[in-house]
Amino acid sequence: MPPDPNLPPSDRASAGMTRRSFLRGAAALSVGAAAIAAGLAPLRQLGKFTSVNEFLQKYYKELTPEEMKVVLARIEDEVQRQYGIRPHVRDYKPMNGVEFVYALNLTRCVGCRKCVHACVAENNQSRNPEIQYIRVLQMPNDGTFDMDKGDTNYAPKSVPQPGFFYMPVQCHHCKNPPCVKVCPVKATWQEPDGITVVDYNWCIGCRYCEAACPYFARRFNFTAPSIPTELINPNMSYLGNRPRYKGVMEKCHFCIQRTRVGRYPACVEVCPTGSRKFGNILDPNSEVSYILKNKRVLILKEELGTLPRFFYYFDI
Amino acid sequence: MNRDRKTTLALAVITVGFAALAVAFVRVPPRPGVIALPPLVSPQDLAIVPGTVRVSAAQLVSSGGDTSGLACYTCHHQDSPPVIQFDSQHHIILPKEHADLIFSMRNCAECHPPSDPVKLEYADDGSLVMPEAHRGLLAIAHGRNFRNENCYNCHDRNQLDQLHTPEGAKLSFDQATLLCAGCHGPNYRDWQAGIHGRTSGYWDRQAGPINRQQCTSCHDPHAPAFTGIIPMPAPHYLHPLPAHAARPESPAL
Repeated sequence: MPPDPNLPPSDRASAGMTRRSFLRGAAALSVGAAAIAAGLAPLRQLGKFTSVNEFLQKYYKELTPEEMKVVLARIEDEVQRQYGIRPHVRDYKPMNGVEFVYALNLTRCVGCRKCVHACVAENNQSRNPEIQYIRVLQMPNDGTFDMDKGDTNYAPKSVPQPGFFYMPVQCHHCKNPPCVKVCPVKATWQEPDGITVVDYNWCIGCRYCEAACPYFARRFNFTAPSIPTELINPNMSYLGNRPRYKGVMEKCHFCIQRTRVGRYPACVEVCPTGSRKFGNILDPNSEVSYILKNKRVLILKEELGTLPRFFYYFDI
Repeated sequence: MNRDRKTTLALAVITVGFAALAVAFVRVPPRPGVIALPPLVSPQDLAIVPGTVRVSAAQLVSSGGDTSGLACYTCHHQDSPPVIQFDSQHHIILPKEHADLIFSMRNCAECHPPSDPVKLEYADDGSLVMPEAHRGLLAIAHGRNFRNENCYNCHDRNQLDQLHTPEGAKLSFDQATLLCAGCHGPNYRDWQAGIHGRTSGYWDRQAGPINRQQCTSCHDPHAPAFTGIIPMPAPHYLHPLPAHAARPESPAL
């Protein structure tokens, strides 16, 4: 049926529609709509894992204090829903005139791994699969500092074993951090007090930083972390020990929720030999200042130019 | 109904359909009902225990703690002294109740009253003969070459619960650190700087105190060197390792 030339132009197109073409079009549309609906169906489950607010959250450094409050309350809700416990999530800010430095005495360390497990407890790390920030290497006592010669799975009846020394390795919080350089979305950065942090809401999980880190300090959440409710530490910080998501990187953050209120990190407090020392390098009377002034200091993989804030030292 | 109306109707239906899909997309699925707030776990319950391996007499005295454990006669009666049993090697058998007893917490004066000072016996080669009653109970292993095994190098001869320096200055038990400093200068220097020994508390002195330990909080003065300790478990692999790779050469980091 030819279109009626007397009709206005807007009606001409519809007037050209036959019953057959309409039915065909309607069928195609309904199939298409059904396909779209089926394709989007998984998104309806999205609310279980994420929310519109989380999706629309701004970059950490752009959040105003009021917006941060909303974000922290949302994270508290998330944690409560997931773990059945109401945490205190706070956003601790760096202190003025403070730069953290860590020093570890290789003469004293006996490799007891207490620091590893204190860290897991303090920082709400996944128990299954296991995620641990600190790796203790049992190194042959032949003058090498080649990490490849270390053994992380030693399990003798008693430590230390003769012929070995023990070298715990964790994030070195470098001044020239390769991991920060490679992050394509700036989800990891250095804070003014020297702590390299990760925003778990901004990380896209590309694992470039894991590959870039010469100290093997970064861990990836291949699955959603699993932590028993009774083992959750409710004192949480945004950039620190709040539970992580599936598919994001995490690493040592010098126990940001402790150190930014002036306390020692968990690994320092638990070390039975007193090998671990921590403090403010800008304070000339701090323990770490004394160590760097008076002790023989080793920088692991110094030749890479990463300028770590983590020093090994020896008693002389 | 003419064709235009049909078309309009069909378009309206499709529009409504899409609108419904849009609503279904945006609508967040129902959350589980409001959970009753569980009680807050105190962060202290999860805090890392900064305790030391032992409680020394010095710590107990200086902290004003319960020193009743230092006196034997809180449990034993003076009229009926406990029967001491020895094994075939003439080593004293420590009762189960004393299994966690640390020798340094004993009050020497209970057995050795100041009026009756102990006489040390020496073997022909000049080494000290360990009294039979102390065997198996007290290991004198002070100094790598056992050069400091004379009780009176540290303890006062007439009053065993007092210490004295080689120069003759008298020190009480809670000043033991100063006595140690007399020989272990470099370690004392490091300890003063906060480098030697376990610390907990606050790195920021304005925010709070730092907890330091005395020498005898960690070291048994009679055997100061540490024996080994059992390491905490190694990291678990997600999958069992093949037998030939049970001890991989490179660390699995």
